[in-house]
Amino acid sequence: MSYYFGFMHRFSSNWKIFIQNPLGKAGLALLSLFALMAVASFGLHLLGPMYDPMTGVDPVVSRSVGPSTSHWLGTDFIGRDILCQLLEGAKIAFIVGLASAFISIIIGTVVGMVSGYAGGIVDILLMRLADMVMVLPSLVILLIIAALFGQLNIWMIVFLIAILRWPAVARVIRSQTLSLKQRPFIEASRVAGASDIRIIFKHIMPNVLPLAFLYMTFRVTSAILVEASLSFLGFGDPGQISWGMMLQWVWSSGHMFQAPYWLLPPGICISLLTLSFYMVGRAMDEVLDPRLRREGQ
Amino acid sequence: MNRIVFISKKAVELFILFFLILTVLFFLFRLAPGDPVTRMVDPMLTPEDAAHIIEQMGLDKPLTTQYMIYVKNFFTGNFGFSFHYGEPVARVIMARLPCTLLLFTTSTLLAALAGVFLGKISAWKKGSRMDGVLSISALVCHTLFVPWFALMMLWMLGFQVGWFPLGGIISPELWIEDAPFGLKVLDVIHHMILPLLTLFIIHVGSYLLLMRSSMLSVLKEDYILTARAKGLTDRVIRNRHAAKNAALPVVTSVGLSLAFSINGGALTEQIFTWPGIGRELIFAVSNNDYPLAQGCFLLIAAVVLSANFIVDLLYAWLDPRIHY
Repeated sequence: MSYYFGFMHRFSSNWKIFIQNPLGKAGLALLSLFALMAVASFGLHLLGPMYDPMTGVDPVVSRSVGPSTSHWLGTDFIGRDILCQLLEGAKIAFIVGLASAFISIIIGTVVGMVSGYAGGIVDILLMRLADMVMVLPSLVILLIIAALFGQLNIWMIVFLIAILRWPAVARVIRSQTLSLKQRPFIEASRVAGASDIRIIFKHIMPNVLPLAFLYMTFRVTSAILVEASLSFLGFGDPGQISWGMMLQWVWSSGHMFQAPYWLLPPGICISLLTLSFYMVGRAMDEVLDPRLRREGQ
Repeated sequence: MNRIVFISKKAVELFILFFLILTVLFFLFRLAPGDPVTRMVDPMLTPEDAAHIIEQMGLDKPLTTQYMIYVKNFFTGNFGFSFHYGEPVARVIMARLPCTLLLFTTSTLLAALAGVFLGKISAWKKGSRMDGVLSISALVCHTLFVPWFALMMLWMLGFQVGWFPLGGIISPELWIEDAPFGLKVLDVIHHMILPLLTLFIIHVGSYLLLMRSSMLSVLKEDYILTARAKGLTDRVIRNRHAAKNAALPVVTSVGLSLAFSINGGALTEQIFTWPGIGRELIFAVSNNDYPLAQGCFLLIAAVVLSANFIVDLLYAWLDPRIHY
């Protein structure tokens, strides 16, 4: 458990290093902004049915018009408010990114621990599997599954992205487990008669989990991008508004060249949100790995 | 000798991987709701033709026999008939493959070369203003949302400024008329610039970041210190001693990031209506053309695996320190 408590103990000093890092600061600021947007989407119903992102239609416009006082970012092709859709999209992006990253972290951690702890043929097989999944293009796989099983709902998409994106986590956790396995406290619990399952989940897991969650930010990035791409191609969950779907509407309704007020916001949001998660991830990497830090930090 | 063992081991591994993918796909097609027959046989066919295809695919046989026929069909290049084109899937795909390879290899090579070059400079000038600008731009490029960025390129450079065509690979009038070959080539290049630029910008960032971190760790090695002590010039140390070794991980990453680039490639093809495999797959999926979708998918899987194989070989050839 030493690593775990050490980690918690070092948290405050790590936080100082993190917040001094310009990448970390900027990333966290952007992330809070998007989190605010996602929270704001829960209050949309207070504005009345006209501002519902999915079903609300402004009867006065009912086509795409540019920004005005009643619609700050304009409306889409049937007169729905773009700002409201943007807020709703932020919520979906967070849900997809975090949920899918969480599941892939869990799968990756379990596979990595078992692989590292068991060794031998189990290790070889699991790592070969990881290699295989790693080289598969996730969007292409999701497309073929969408073709066979019809329209996928949002949780199905989250789950599928997760089971295609665990190998990187598994590799990190495996190497961590390999070094933990040699520590005296594992030896001690084995001598005390603990079973393999108990050692893995009681003694190894608390030590590798913090590390696994540090790698979560990169998984969030890729999950958001894959979901947005899928929605953009028209295979997203039709019951949920996402930024990718907003772009799909701009494109398929032929407003691409006429409505920059509609084309710009969703794309900027997707790119910035993924960028901010990525920046936070890299800043955390630098906290963990002092060799990456700039001199004088 | 060792090298031959290494190569054949890799080849066998890849073959097993591909076989696994083939098998999983077979079961996915049978597991999906609905009748597999409707998925492999065009509903518009006459009953006799349909019966012929069912016979050929073995769709009336038990599952194990079906699987054998499926594998045999695959290795003899028989992917069934596309519903939309009414042609053998293999022929449709083979017509699209060159377009994809052209766009894909050009953009990957250019991005890798530029990324290695810029990453080298960035690491050498670590902490400088230029390093900061390069790293941040690389991060931004790396996390750009591909379809949106492609649309922006199309909107700005294609529509607003009008420098480049809005899609396709060649102007129809050149295709139909017997235009001179040189003109056709120029026209294809003119059509290719926008998708190429899009893919280049999206990929150059990750290569730059990778080269930068690899270069930074190489610069801490003892042999760099030795080179300095020998009194070699900065340029020689940077280019001959550091960059050569630092570029090795970048080579491996070409294989690993291929999955990522294929996603981006398919989206780019779709937006610029570039007649490649990725766009064909999206088209097949949108139109429930199952045999075509299956063929495109298997081809993409084959391309990914063989590219990884080539990268492994390249790595073994470039790095003499590797023991097989």
